[in-house]
Amino acid sequence: MTTIRRAEPRKNFERYAFLFMRLSGVALLLLAVGHMVIQHLVRDVHDLTLQVVADVWRSWGWRAYDLLLLIFAAMHGFNGLRNVLEDYIHNPVTVRRINIGLAVFLVLTIVWSAVAIFTFRPDAVMVQAP
Amino acid sequence: MSSPLKETVQEVVRYRGNWGHWSWVAHRLSGLAVLSFLVIHVWDTANATFWPEAYAYSVEIFKWFPFSVGEIGLMAAVLFHAFNGIRVTLLDFKPEWWRYQQQSAVAVWVVFAVTFLPIGYFMLQRTIGHCINKAAVGQSCFAFPLPPGW
Repeated sequence: MTTIRRAEPRKNFERYAFLFMRLSGVALLLLAVGHMVIQHLVRDVHDLTLQVVADVWRSWGWRAYDLLLLIFAAMHGFNGLRNVLEDYIHNPVTVRRINIGLAVFLVLTIVWSAVAIFTFRPDAVMVQAP
Repeated sequence: MSSPLKETVQEVVRYRGNWGHWSWVAHRLSGLAVLSFLVIHVWDTANATFWPEAYAYSVEIFKWFPFSVGEIGLMAAVLFHAFNGIRVTLLDFKPEWWRYQQQSAVAVWVVFAVTFLPIGYFMLQRTIGHCINKAAVGQSCFAFPLPPGW
């Protein structure tokens, strides 16, 4: 006979990180897969230009979509990378340094791109690139 | 004397966990692949605001043939990671379904194949079509695009 036990998470952070990976994963099913379908199947990436970005970001709805996708994908991805690295790196000092580095880079990535999404001016795009 | 990396690669190949094991390996590799593209893509797209000339040039690099083929791989990675992620999440919240984990792993590979094969074929067709269009005007999709003014 087998007994199935639910493991008791030791640390609260890891518990929330675990839940976050599942919940953001469900959100990314719509956001990330939807983004791939739109960009690669509905549109054609071979037609992508700065002008196309300007047309899409004229809509605040699409800006909000891209911001949500950015936040969920970046957090999900960097936490996943942390999980992978912690499987192979066991020195607590090294792990801590890597985690701080990843966290800083994650915040920089989200802030820089969020500013880009919300300060983009579609009307400033005058001519289409060749 | 073995390095952790070498040991990891050896054990991944040697371990006999069948389908579930390969799902685990593919989930990791596809996740890392998508993250690598995500970082490049996000910082690159921010250039649309901060440095439009650089953005206009970089999208031309993304249309370079090897990159287009890489994007088909990206589609495969995203789809597999998504389908297998559903499986992992369901099994995490429903431990009583663990008895089906091997079957569910096979099911994910089947669903992945059924969805990705037509999509990948479609993307490859478009990529080749782009090459044909370029060839018609005397350009090559294999030539790495040079920045304006070069």
